[in-house]
Amino acid sequence: MKKIKIITMIVLIILITMVSFFGVYTQVQNRMENQVKEYALDMDLDGARYVRLSVNKESTDVIKDANGNEVETEEEMTDEQLAENGYTKESVPNNSEDVLTLENYEKSKQIIGERLESQGVGEYEISVDSETGDILVQIPENQNTDNFVSNMNTVGKFEMIDADTKDVLMDNQDIKLVNVMYGSNSSTSSGTTVYLNIEFNKEGSKKLAEISKTYVESTDTTSEDTNTTADNTTNTENTATDNTTTEENTTDNTNTTETDTTEDSTEKTTKEITLKIDDQEIMTTSFDEPIENGKLQLSMGSATTDTKTLQDNIRQTSAMASVLDSGNLPIQYDITSNEYILSDVTNTHIAYLAIAVGMILFIGFIILIVRYKVNGLLSAIAFIGLISLYLLVIRYTNVSVSIQGIVGIIVTIVLNYIFINKLLSSIKKSEDSKKLENVKEGIKESYKAFFIKLIPICISVIVFCFINWTTISSFGMVMFWGIVLIALYNYLITATMLKVKAEK
Amino acid sequence: MKQFIKSKQLKIILMLLVIIAGIVMIAVKGFNFDLKYQDTQRVELYLKTEFNISDIRQITNEVFGNQKVMIQKVEVFEDSVSITTTSISEEQKNNLITKINEKYGTELKAEDTTVEDIAHTRGRDIIKPYIVPFVIAVIVVLIYLAIRYYKLSIAKVIAKSVGIMILAQILLFSVIAITRIPIGRLTIPMVILVYLLTLFGITNMFEKNLSKKNLEEKKDKSKKK
Repeated sequence: MKKIKIITMIVLIILITMVSFFGVYTQVQNRMENQVKEYALDMDLDGARYVRLSVNKESTDVIKDANGNEVETEEEMTDEQLAENGYTKESVPNNSEDVLTLENYEKSKQIIGERLESQGVGEYEISVDSETGDILVQIPENQNTDNFVSNMNTVGKFEMIDADTKDVLMDNQDIKLVNVMYGSNSSTSSGTTVYLNIEFNKEGSKKLAEISKTYVESTDTTSEDTNTTADNTTNTENTATDNTTTEENTTDNTNTTETDTTEDSTEKTTKEITLKIDDQEIMTTSFDEPIENGKLQLSMGSATTDTKTLQDNIRQTSAMASVLDSGNLPIQYDITSNEYILSDVTNTHIAYLAIAVGMILFIGFIILIVRYKVNGLLSAIAFIGLISLYLLVIRYTNVSVSIQGIVGIIVTIVLNYIFINKLLSSIKKSEDSKKLENVKEGIKESYKAFFIKLIPICISVIVFCFINWTTISSFGMVMFWGIVLIALYNYLITATMLKVKAEK
Repeated sequence: MKQFIKSKQLKIILMLLVIIAGIVMIAVKGFNFDLKYQDTQRVELYLKTEFNISDIRQITNEVFGNQKVMIQKVEVFEDSVSITTTSISEEQKNNLITKINEKYGTELKAEDTTVEDIAHTRGRDIIKPYIVPFVIAVIVVLIYLAIRYYKLSIAKVIAKSVGIMILAQILLFSVIAITRIPIGRLTIPMVILVYLLTLFGITNMFEKNLSKKNLEEKKDKSKKK
């Protein structure tokens, strides 16, 4: 019966070893496919997306009026039209000489790093060329990589402007933090809405409070009608001045103004702000009530109950939040190269390492067998089972294996060897190592002595598990599962085998 | 006892020598950074077919001689090769392309192939992500050690632990500087390994001291009785 117990355990170990090292193959269509999960590898082992950001050297044509002020036009103007209006066209470099400084290169690098971190990129490498300002970013290749790349060179310029005068009311300097919020309206049950939450700093909060009092929709009647008229007049004047270039526009606007005045005077009193991110209009709105808390929540997309749409909204808003939160890039960059390059650490390197570890272990097993005879042999067999199970656990717990993780695996193997050696040595030291009581005592003693010394390592490992940097968390997770297995597996398998053998 | 003191003194002298030699080496020559963390130049070649890194290695050995070279496959089809080395001269580029064309039957032209400059990653950028985790881990470990070994004097336990941890890391970097082991992807694993060994050593030492102390206390109690 006892013999059967030991044989059953050995068969179980062989089975686990076969599954772990050779896999489980099933036929999928016309080929055999391994059903055992692959290892998740980090950037050092799996390769990375290399993104080169080069300083934009292009120029943009800017139209200026006689006073040197920039004129915004939606349509391209001909030379004649420019001359007619007294405008001039200038070619302005997107990055002036003043901004192309080492300080700004470094700042850009720092901002890109912050954006990647805020989007949850657990590992990246950034280098900057101090002469050209080119930035080379390496990030892990996965399903989100393209999203991260698309946000890298977004300038992240935030502006709140007067919808009419185009005066800048607030910009990036007023922002304290930007994050994503979402909530559902239970009364309407229309689903969940994602919000871009912008928190302003002290100065910004004051400005926002002021703006939210000024840019309101007026719904009042007679007494305020006078103001309304005044405002209307101003607006009309502006419209006329702005659109003097084409007669048609002027006429259209005048008509609209007249109609508006007669139909709905409230609409005309509304002073609106426009929110712009990277010169793109996000929305034009007014405030219902003054905002005193310095927080502005902008709904992104409509409320939805569809999980995929919601996730898309969250992803897009998170990207926008991370771009705004990290501040705007002082330099305009272009992505000039974006490719996935595999790691120079190949399977051959890993195979050599595995062979080296295997050979050292083999020598270690021989030493165990020579020193502790049958107990040594049983422990060596159990040891192989532990390594096999350990490698399966690493795969199924989604631990991202890095070079640090590989070191963690080797450290775990060494720790288990030390533990087994201690365990067998304690049993051997007892008066009669074949007595079950002595074996039990030896196991208890070695567990106590070994794990008490391991507590500081366990503490560090647990801390590393919670760090949001793949290589260090990889080490932490690998070691965590390793230590858990050393404790549990040896109690359930190795110690049981030794106890069964002692009973025999 | 005399012998023990002598061996302890010898250890201290040896450690000091290693540290001084390390500091001198860092001051004079600095650390030897791995190719991945140096200013390098890179060339990418489209081979139109899958290839063996060892074949490319043979070619780069002929072209670049003793220069360190990093060879990587590009994109999912793995039919392009990225070759990174410290510097690529015009002559080396021409030579490389000729040999690649001969080996793979491609028609690559030197004038169409650009050599890309890659700026180095700074040492502090490599270390930066590890500082906070290590500081947190060390603080928590020190709190544990102070509680567990309070009988050995909390101040002494903390001072000894911090001292040994710092000394071990200084020794590691001195050895790295002296032996010119490149600072690269294996440096952090080495730091972690030394940190774990130090923790194991410290705990072992304090455990022994604690058992001694407990034994002495027991003896004192029995004497009093």
